[in-house]
Amino acid sequence: MVRGRRLFGLSAVLAVLGMAGFVLVLGSLLKSGLPLLTWRFLTSSGNVGIGPEILNTVVLCSITMIVTVPLGLLVAVYQGEYLRRQSRRVRELDHLRATLMSAPTIVLALAVYRVAVGWWHWPVSLLTGALALSVINWPFMVTVCRAALSAVPDSYREASLALGASRFETVVRVVIPAALGTLIEGIGMALARLAGESAALIVTTGVNVSQHWSLWGPGETLAVHIWYIRTEGVVSGRDAEAAATGVTLMIGISVVLWLSNRVAQLFGRSEGGYDGT
Amino acid sequence: MSTPSVTDRMPRRTAGLAAGLFALVGIILVASLAAGAWPMLGAPRAAANLIGAVWDPLRGRYGVAPFVVGTAAVTLTALVIAVPIALGVAVSIVHQVGALGRGGILRVLTVLTAVPSVIFGWWGLQMVVPWVRAHVGGPGFSLLAAGIVLALMILPTLSLFFAQALSKVPNTLKEGSAALGATPDQTLLRVELPFAMPALVNGLVVGLARALGETMAVQMVVGGQTAIPAGLAAPGATLTTQIFTDMTAFPPGTAGHAVLDIMALLLLAAMYVLVRTAERWGSR
Amino acid sequence: MEPKLRVENLSVWYQRQPALKHVTLSVEEGEVLALIGPSGCGKSTFLRTLNRLSEEQVGVRVSGSIMLGDLDIQESHVDVTQIRRRVGMVFQAPNPFPFSIFDNVAYGPRLQGVADPGTLRKIVEQSLRQAALWDEVRGKLRRPALALSGGQQQRLCIARALAVNPEVLLMDEPTASLDPLSTAKIEELVGALRGQYTIVMVTHNLRQAARISDRTAFFLDGALVEVGPTRQIFTAPQDNRTEQYLTGRFES
Ligand SMILES: Nc1ncnc2c1ncn2[C@@H]1O[C@H](COP(=O)(O)OP(=O)(O)OP(=O)(O)O)[C@@H](O)[C@H]1O
Ligand SMILES: [Mg+2]
Repeated sequence: MVRGRRLFGLSAVLAVLGMAGFVLVLGSLLKSGLPLLTWRFLTSSGNVGIGPEILNTVVLCSITMIVTVPLGLLVAVYQGEYLRRQSRRVRELDHLRATLMSAPTIVLALAVYRVAVGWWHWPVSLLTGALALSVINWPFMVTVCRAALSAVPDSYREASLALGASRFETVVRVVIPAALGTLIEGIGMALARLAGESAALIVTTGVNVSQHWSLWGPGETLAVHIWYIRTEGVVSGRDAEAAATGVTLMIGISVVLWLSNRVAQLFGRSEGGYDGT
Repeated sequence: MSTPSVTDRMPRRTAGLAAGLFALVGIILVASLAAGAWPMLGAPRAAANLIGAVWDPLRGRYGVAPFVVGTAAVTLTALVIAVPIALGVAVSIVHQVGALGRGGILRVLTVLTAVPSVIFGWWGLQMVVPWVRAHVGGPGFSLLAAGIVLALMILPTLSLFFAQALSKVPNTLKEGSAALGATPDQTLLRVELPFAMPALVNGLVVGLARALGETMAVQMVVGGQTAIPAGLAAPGATLTTQIFTDMTAFPPGTAGHAVLDIMALLLLAAMYVLVRTAERWGSR
Repeated sequence: MEPKLRVENLSVWYQRQPALKHVTLSVEEGEVLALIGPSGCGKSTFLRTLNRLSEEQVGVRVSGSIMLGDLDIQESHVDVTQIRRRVGMVFQAPNPFPFSIFDNVAYGPRLQGVADPGTLRKIVEQSLRQAALWDEVRGKLRRPALALSGGQQQRLCIARALAVNPEVLLMDEPTASLDPLSTAKIEELVGALRGQYTIVMVTHNLRQAARISDRTAFFLDGALVEVGPTRQIFTAPQDNRTEQYLTGRFES
């Protein structure tokens, strides 16, 4: 080691330590989970498989994205394209967005629970869960869209306006196409985040799989399933099952992230944009 | 902007409506929590009861101190462990990895930020709880176990932010420092870290927010004991885990649920303060 | 003959700061008018009020009148998008959209509802020919515009502006970021467009102004100092501030 580079050596040691932590987490997950991961496990229901949980996860994520992608984009467009930059209203909306985005999901779920279950008498169900997830994801989507749209250079906007386009036409025909790659990557991040949500869903969609599947019925997701069988389940020896569910979830999340990255590159993802905030 | 084009009227109104709805959702969130908290706040000797150290709903004692202490202990433990490691990761990425490998590592880190918290909780039960029981003592389910699990969980986020902060230090500054005879360590300590400080603090605040708000990973390993914890190795509970475990136990309308609403408002306020702090520091 | 553009008593402020003061100036149909003056004297500001692009910025206030034919473009009932279709603009740095060459040129016609592929193709070809770019890009219209060279990009931007068939073309230092060869091509192009379009062009290159413009206007500190036939401005300026500027006694 060169003199005067001790901190760099220390850094490397710490970095290896951090990596070791993740190797431990993912390694032990794979080691316990992989042996159980069969086609039967993925497709069956009841005590032998997680078919319904996969379905519920996909359904919840889909509903939430269908609701929040347009809504998030609209808010971002309003802030970034219609309001004056740096105006008070833009800043206040940004504060609200950032606060809601970093708020614990269980806090948002508590409020949704009171409104939907307490006031509107919705049952604990997939739809209540979708409502909670939408409230959780909306601020995140706004953040993703804000970052993607503001990475588009103003010279594109000026060129379009100077050709007689309205702001709306400029947004639809120039700004969004130019931001598409970054948007898609952000949508991938949002999906990954939603698929991993558990606390908020345990209280809003419940931990049961109903016999007759319905949006108004309860619907356990993969992440909830891991928690449930690992901590509440009475049958012993289901650690491995939880791990296998975890592996499934991780594979799903990785595929979503990988795919969104590929597609984003296809649409020419510009650097900048969402940076993991 | 003074006279928007005719074709812009409808879209502008639609987008404005969405933004209004967004604000409304925010207001409803806070209002519903406040409405839930109201009966408790109006109760006799509410403040003394709430600040108290005793959580015993059966006897009407709703002191939230155990959870505030638990949250603080778990979050601090996590930061104390994770911040140095994240700094190490960031320094290594910026200084010891070529530009080619850097993109790959940053992508891996991004994927790791998306690992669900239940998976960390699962790992905590599998390895951390037994380890604490064996080497530190106590039941294993503890604030310490929660802190360790949380540390690993926020590590990728912190590392990403720190790496980004350090990579924004201009090369001319580093070279200037080296040209004056500074060793790499001295340059790191006296030029790079101070220059990157606002961005580092910003990352720290984001990591802190994640740690404060985490529910699942903590709930699975923290033990859930509602007394003021005796030490790091003792079981405890945090604001979020208590909201999680009690919100279905106490139906809306009961005093127990009202206290949960108060805790939720407390967390929201903390997040708002963090957001404003990050804004102030990040823009320096 | 009626002038194409008649600007009367035009003043522009950024927040409280005046950027243009009481400018009165006419542009004749089909002429090339060059705007010269030191940096920060308000040339771009002037240009950007002519198509009301300035109002997209925060805190801009405009007074006075701008007549385009017999339409006062400042009046609030006038749709700004209609103005901008009649008054095209080319910017200092080439700013093609990150689309294909074809989609760039077809952008304006599509906005106006032209959807027929045959018509679009005809407009695109004609505009590219007018912008003297056709021979270089024919057969490559599906290529990304950003893959073109800087000079080609700027001519593409001119083609894009021409495709909506504007009456007036505003050019803000269109050659400032180009090499001498591309500059020569653009100058040649402006010469070819003279008569067909009314062109207002900002330039810092005095020789360029002398070469290609019919008339020249000299701005200083937000005010119009003098305007006249280019030859006269360059050989016998009426105002001695113009003379000082032309002989290089101002910072520019
Ligand atoms: N967006 C703005 N906000 C505030 N002031 C501005 C803005 N744009 C321009 N100005 C000011 O208005 C004055 C005129 O600027 P303008 O860009 O019109 O000058 P210009 O003649 O085009 O200069 P250059 O030759 O450098 O392009 C300058 O003093 C400038 O600082
Ligand atoms: Mg200018």
